[in-house]
Amino acid sequence: MKRKTILETVLDRGFTRRDFLKMCTALAATMGLDFSETDKVVAAMEKSARVPVIWLQFQDCTGCSESFIRSTHPKVESVLLDMISLEYTEALSAASGHQIEEARKHVMKHYYGEYILVVEGSLPMDDAFLTVGGVSAKETFIETAKGAKAIIAYGSCSSWGGIPAAYPNPTKAKPITHFVKDKPIILVPGCPPIAEVMTGVIAHIITFGTLPELDHLGRPKAFYRHRIHDKCNRRAYFDAGLFAESFDDEGAKQGYCLYKVGCKGPTTYNSCAEMRWNGGVSYPIQSGNPCIGCSEKGFWDNGPFYVRRAKIPASQTTINPETVGAIAVGVTAAGVAAHAAITAVKKKEQENHDRGERK
Amino acid sequence: MSVPTNPKIEKETVKVVWKKSRQAKTIPLNDQMVKVYVWELPVRIFHWINALSIFILMITGVFIGRPFASASIQEEAYYSYLMGWARYIHFFTAFVFTINLAVRWYWVYKGNEHATSNPFRLSFWKEAWETVKYYLFLKNKKKHYIGHNPLAQLSYWIFIGLGSIIMILTGYYLLFEPQPESIYGKMFMWVAHLFGGDSFSVRSWHHLVAWGFMVFTVVHVYMAFREDYLQRNGTMSSIFTGYKIERKEEVLGENNGK
Ligand code: HEM
Ligand code: HEM
Ligand code: SF4
Ligand code: SF4
Repeated sequence: MKRKTILETVLDRGFTRRDFLKMCTALAATMGLDFSETDKVVAAMEKSARVPVIWLQFQDCTGCSESFIRSTHPKVESVLLDMISLEYTEALSAASGHQIEEARKHVMKHYYGEYILVVEGSLPMDDAFLTVGGVSAKETFIETAKGAKAIIAYGSCSSWGGIPAAYPNPTKAKPITHFVKDKPIILVPGCPPIAEVMTGVIAHIITFGTLPELDHLGRPKAFYRHRIHDKCNRRAYFDAGLFAESFDDEGAKQGYCLYKVGCKGPTTYNSCAEMRWNGGVSYPIQSGNPCIGCSEKGFWDNGPFYVRRAKIPASQTTINPETVGAIAVGVTAAGVAAHAAITAVKKKEQENHDRGERK
Repeated sequence: MSVPTNPKIEKETVKVVWKKSRQAKTIPLNDQMVKVYVWELPVRIFHWINALSIFILMITGVFIGRPFASASIQEEAYYSYLMGWARYIHFFTAFVFTINLAVRWYWVYKGNEHATSNPFRLSFWKEAWETVKYYLFLKNKKKHYIGHNPLAQLSYWIFIGLGSIIMILTGYYLLFEPQPESIYGKMFMWVAHLFGGDSFSVRSWHHLVAWGFMVFTVVHVYMAFREDYLQRNGTMSSIFTGYKIERKEEVLGENNGK
């Protein structure tokens, strides 16, 4: 059976070619492409068929699915109905139980090497924490990954371990990259990721049949190359040295920088400051809440969210570096003082001794 | 302190030293004492630029990490640039700090015997241990050192050698991370993998090691004063003038022992 192309699907659903071109333009913009490259998107959409997608959920909160269905450009309907065929998802499928597991097996067999695997949530090292229908999460994931063309890790849990991996990490949660190494994996971190970033990544794969360009950590450059701090609407206040000291002071009202109430923008890579959320309405910092660094590895342990701290290397503990530093210097100074006192006493003894000898 | 010198002898020794040997030059004062040129000019310049830049880097750095003062003109960001200047001064000083350190590394090869240190010898560690005992007021076989003692050398290796390298790597990473596509960005990208992988971990390293420098400074300045107090050999003034006053046999003994 020949699968319909994306263009055919769109036309079948009663849209005009004009609508289709609009969709392609919006898509190109979301993917961070130049306007002149829109025709590439059009050409691809005319030719390529809808891509089967399997969406697995492990130790997650379904927040990423929730974010995904709020995509406004491309509209999630057009992604779901025109571009991909979401064959398996726990959150959105009408079917359930053995029926839906059958659907997954079907895709894995008939579209071997063609389907995209989407993973939401981290995997526990200990199977006791996540086994569904007698099959452990690890097994399900590795089995499904085998025939996948590419794997997309949606959210910080599948990308870095996420909240399940927060101290003391009872389930020994690990990111999916820990279990499968021989497949192209795209990390789309965020808690959750921005809807348009999620759809943008999948649209890129469908359009070009290749992965988008990734950075050194495996994230698509188009969406993760900029630091929140460098695109932040409050940055002028940072450079000026005007900081909100608490959430109800004058500075907070004036829109000062949120650095001193714990903003993690200076160490966070994400598109929030450019694309914003909910169709571009706003994003946390604009609305007065410091960035918590939700798309960064280890953000769950870099807290408290509203305090600036430093992390003790290779631990899951943060400290106030000034307090600890001052204590270290204080203890050293006390040690030095004691040492100096003993030195002086010894020297006196020695001198008395010498004088005694000379007599 | 002015010490009478014999200019003729000084000239001769200079010639000898600059040929090949790395022996520090000496100037006999009388039949018992000699003046030893321990810290050559580049070492002294390094020392004070280093100390001053660390001081500036620490103040601006802590301000960056924990702004302890706010701009005095409120409401509009346009009129102030307090954090901007703190960062600029930090970066400018960081460049000075880096170049200064590079020159000192060069001097390890070029300078006199006291400008270098070799921790890959067993005797280094044995003597460092004797020095530890000495500082703990225990019975020890610590020699008298004209240059740094091995324990002091070790502290320079750890705090100035390793510590500076950590500060420089993490610092330049932080500086260039907003431009991952630039040459500089690419040059320091790998640093993140060495220090935990994410930006927050790199920043934490940078901030914590900064305090390591403060601990070093307390001990180091104390040691310099203490040495001066006990030996009365001009240790303190040596870091300004370069010279220490030593007994002749000590200088000879040390050189013969090598
Ligand atoms: C001994 C030397 C140094 C000390 C004591 C020092 C200290 C500090 C401290 C305490 C911070 C604040 C960290 C935080 O936000 O938690 C900082 C930030 C920073 N330092 Fe240094 N630093 C040193 C050397 C360097 C060097 C060599 C560079 C290289 C360019 C550098 C570049 C930076 C940068 C880029 C930041 C972050 C500034 C920002 O994000 O606004 N530092 N430094
Ligand atoms: C009042 C401040 C200081 C005084 C009086 C002082 C004095 C001295 C003296 C007398 C020496 C040679 C002693 C020996 O090792 O046997 C020395 C060496 C050294 N000091 Fe300081 N110091 C001061 C501050 C600092 C600071 C703040 C730093 C850096 C954090 C520093 C770093 C060093 C280093 C790296 C050496 C080895 C020099 C070399 O071989 O290149 N000093 N200092
Ligand atoms: S609010 Fe946060 S991201 Fe924005 S300038 Fe201040 S510290 Fe940077
Ligand atoms: S502003 Fe920061 S915490 Fe908020 S969504 Fe964006 S990356 Fe996450």
